[in-house]
Amino acid sequence: MRLQLRALASPREKPREKILEIAGVHKIFHGNGNFLHVLEGIDFRAEKGELICIVGRSGCGKSTLLKIVAGFMPPSSGKVLLRSRSVEGPGPERCVIFQEDALFPWLTVQENIAFGLKWKGRDKQARVEEVERFLGLVGLNEFRDYLPGEISGGMKQRVALARVLILKPEVLLMDEPFASLDAQSREEMQNLLLSLWQELGHTILFVTHDVNEAVILADKILLMSKNPGRIREEIRVDLPRPRSRDSSAFLHFSRRLREALRA
Amino acid sequence: MTGHEMDIRHGGAWRLLPGVIPALFILAWIVVSAASLIPTYLLPHPLEIAKSGYTYILGQSGEGPYAGRFLIDSGQSLLRVGCGFAAAVAFGLPLGIVSGRLPVVQRLMSTTVNALRAVPGITWLPLAMVWFGIGVRTTVFLVALAAFFPVYLNAAAGARQVNPVLLQAGAMMGVRRVRGTFAILLPGAMPHLMTGLRLGLGISWAYLVLGELTGVSNGLGAVIMDARMLGRIDMIVVGIIIIAVIGRLSDSLLQAGMRFFFKSARRMA
Repeated sequence: MRLQLRALASPREKPREKILEIAGVHKIFHGNGNFLHVLEGIDFRAEKGELICIVGRSGCGKSTLLKIVAGFMPPSSGKVLLRSRSVEGPGPERCVIFQEDALFPWLTVQENIAFGLKWKGRDKQARVEEVERFLGLVGLNEFRDYLPGEISGGMKQRVALARVLILKPEVLLMDEPFASLDAQSREEMQNLLLSLWQELGHTILFVTHDVNEAVILADKILLMSKNPGRIREEIRVDLPRPRSRDSSAFLHFSRRLREALRA
Repeated sequence: MTGHEMDIRHGGAWRLLPGVIPALFILAWIVVSAASLIPTYLLPHPLEIAKSGYTYILGQSGEGPYAGRFLIDSGQSLLRVGCGFAAAVAFGLPLGIVSGRLPVVQRLMSTTVNALRAVPGITWLPLAMVWFGIGVRTTVFLVALAAFFPVYLNAAAGARQVNPVLLQAGAMMGVRRVRGTFAILLPGAMPHLMTGLRLGLGISWAYLVLGELTGVSNGLGAVIMDARMLGRIDMIVVGIIIIAVIGRLSDSLLQAGMRFFFKSARRMA
């Protein structure tokens, strides 16, 4: 039974290659003579096209871990390797969807999506077509001329998705991107993310504290504990896709994960 | 905005609203003059002011002491304000942006700037006259000095409050340093930059008059000073009104220009 589910779980069966490796990452924050061991010995790897959810309670260092992978802060020790090359600083091959609204408020939806491409020196026609395509992919054609201040939280996160997907990142880093949305928008965004992921095949690291979200999305869940933050358990999610939020298998899995989180 | 407010904002009354206070003021002035409540050597009748203004602006030179001098006076004054304000922006804006982003620069500058800022601009006047003599350079110096502070301080505040996440987002999309400064930092700081520029331009006019009161031969401030010595109170009032009008227009022009050239000014400030 388990084997069968596993097979169903990867409809895009293809040889998996290792793309991202986190090797022995520690992070220690210093302040007033004190120090705080935020991350201790984080080790894991992501295969190409894998969707990994990092789940843990607040304060377990999961956002810090994401920032280190993004290159916004260096690890105290250890390495982040993308295709075996050490990550130094942020770059368009590792794009972040922030938890908060990080769109440029003076640019329209369309201009926000075009922002990263604008500097890439592609010819204008190709750029316009790309923007057109990604506007369509996130379903914002009719809102292209709106400013971020004029659209809902869910739409803003769609724009945030489109503006990085258009850069063809190898890894997508998502830091509780749907946490501030209402339940319905959150579900919509999860579905949108899944369909984009299935279409475009990105590798995704998705940080969340929402167990259901992790079970709906993930190929693999990294369960983190805190003080110091470390990976307590690596859980494969063998549920077939598309997953239903009220199937007994889903509920069962969520319950198990919730218990594990509490332990 | 409610629908009701929308209606109000699109009516002709809305457009006339800014003129209400000036109109009431002139009306009161006419009444006061007509009733001879204040002697005319203290406050001339508005009609007389209008006549003097007309001669000043459109008269042929030679008709009277001030006839037809408007163009050369206002041209000179505009030039002085322009030079002084431009210098203030050229120094204040980049310095402000840098000090808003780099704590080292901020700390380096803070005591000096705040100490200098505490010195009233007028106290520089004697020193400036010794340094630059009477004339254009003193005026430009005073204008530049006075306008520097609001431009600098607001640019610093604006650069400081730009959401760091926007800069991170730019960095991850490959836009940082010089590009990031122009594509993210400046637009992000735009509302503050606008405030600084407008305050700076406003204060430029104030210090222009101060500089021109010192005995230069032309300029709007010079006319006012000259008129005071000749007892032409009507010309003092004409000068005041012209400065008010040009000041107001230059502010509108500044805003319109910024909105024309910058999306961020159009959409955020």
